[in-house]
Amino acid sequence: MTAEILEALFFVLTSLMIAYLIRHYIFTITVLRGTRKNRTATFQQNAPHQPTVSILVPARNEEKVIERILQRMTELTYPKDKLQVIVVDDGSTDATPSIAQHYSNICKHIMVVHRKQDEGGKGKPAALNAGLKYANGEVILCFDADYYPQKDIVEKLAQEFADPKVGAVQGRVTVLNEPKNLVTRIVALERIGGYRVDQEARENLTLITQFGGTVGGFRRSLLEALGGWDESMLAEDTDLTFRVYLAGYKVRYVGDAESYEEAVDNWRAYWKQRYRWSRGHMECFFKYTKKVLTSKNLRLREKIDGFLLLNVYFMPILVLFSWIIGIPMFFLKSSQLFAILWTAVPISLYSFVGNFAPFFEVGVGVYLDGRKRAQWLIPLLIFTFLYNIPICTKAFIDVILSKISRKHKSHWEKTRHLGNGNRYIMN
Amino acid sequence: MGIILSYTLLSLPFVNNESSWTLPAFNFLFVSLTFPLNGALVKKVFLLITGDFVCLLWNYLISLLAHTFVYSFGDIFNTLYMIFTPLLNLFMIVSFWSVSLTVLARGRGKVGVGI
Repeated sequence: MTAEILEALFFVLTSLMIAYLIRHYIFTITVLRGTRKNRTATFQQNAPHQPTVSILVPARNEEKVIERILQRMTELTYPKDKLQVIVVDDGSTDATPSIAQHYSNICKHIMVVHRKQDEGGKGKPAALNAGLKYANGEVILCFDADYYPQKDIVEKLAQEFADPKVGAVQGRVTVLNEPKNLVTRIVALERIGGYRVDQEARENLTLITQFGGTVGGFRRSLLEALGGWDESMLAEDTDLTFRVYLAGYKVRYVGDAESYEEAVDNWRAYWKQRYRWSRGHMECFFKYTKKVLTSKNLRLREKIDGFLLLNVYFMPILVLFSWIIGIPMFFLKSSQLFAILWTAVPISLYSFVGNFAPFFEVGVGVYLDGRKRAQWLIPLLIFTFLYNIPICTKAFIDVILSKISRKHKSHWEKTRHLGNGNRYIMN
Repeated sequence: MGIILSYTLLSLPFVNNESSWTLPAFNFLFVSLTFPLNGALVKKVFLLITGDFVCLLWNYLISLLAHTFVYSFGDIFNTLYMIFTPLLNLFMIVSFWSVSLTVLARGRGKVGVGI
């Protein structure tokens, strides 16, 4: 009897894993076939759509990286009379305010919003909301302080708002400090899989394209109607993604609107960042699963994709659970079906890394990017996945405990940026 | 076809239960995800056949190792073999596939990001 129950549970778990593998296999095949639909053709044939744009740059103690992005803000090719850059100094205690003020003094389109130390440090969503009050553009874009976008990125992102159904846009993130060490190289692989294949495929298949919190933005009227960023959420980007879709709008991915980021460069920072992502994502799961499944604004395929997207940070825990159940099954009497399903478990170990792109998705992404040697590191992705198991398990336990105790004690753990990406920028 | 038939016949002695799922999985993955990429078909077929041989050899060596351990230390190693073989096989598949991508990517220009 025990064996039958365990086997049934194992069957459910592996079915879910296989569903994810099929989903990502379809993503990969879609990108390989290049079935990108020419959605914006009707808009692109007309004059370029150049709405007024406000760029928000939240910054808390970012003295080592802030100058890089502010310099780039002065070099943007978007018409300056339609551009406003708002640096939100989120109660910094270092030189960030003075550096930002210097750029504000020499460039008319850059302004600084200073938040007092007792106001600041409450997380990125709070800083963005503070900046939003001063924004006057029709489109609101956001860039993290450690980012370094293309000069013409605003044109590429703003153009998409010509389509009235588009509520938000997302550009591509690429790792700036990739050569630094093994951690940055692996994060770069995750990013490639996540953006070059995953986001691209979701865009092509008109599924739930995810707003990633930076290198993207919103139609201002929609953002205000939605009440801005939810300051209680750790994954404010996923939260807004689902609010946009539930409101009947789309998020559009623009793969050629690219920006470099300074990736975490040690496992401790990786833990903190991924813990925040996984806990925030799990909170979104509890908040949106029912709404997504019952929404009248979403098609069936979007509901399925949305459900799988909301579940994704539970997968490392479920894979761990399937190992815990599966190994005793070898000592109990188990069926032939179990032996077949067991082979799905190790495949899953290579399939839920970082942004939860399987190894084949990462590999194809790396190839399509024209990389020649980065593929060698793909076998090592298994260690990233194993590292994600305790991260997601702790996040899950904390979410459950906060639900039971009814105390929402999410603390925004900021990623420290050391400016080690500066050396990779060629002037 | 002759080459594929020959290598299939030659490799039959090495096929066991484990390789009976590993081989189709590797071939499916390789054909569906690697063949659409740029590169000469001959190169891809060569890589596929090489991968199949490596796959069979890998399985054969692991099974020999398992037999040795079972013979020397007891039946528990048979269970461990069953538990971990899929993982070891997948490690081989991922590694070989990654190397194949590197081979195919050679000679192509870097796309990268323009800043």
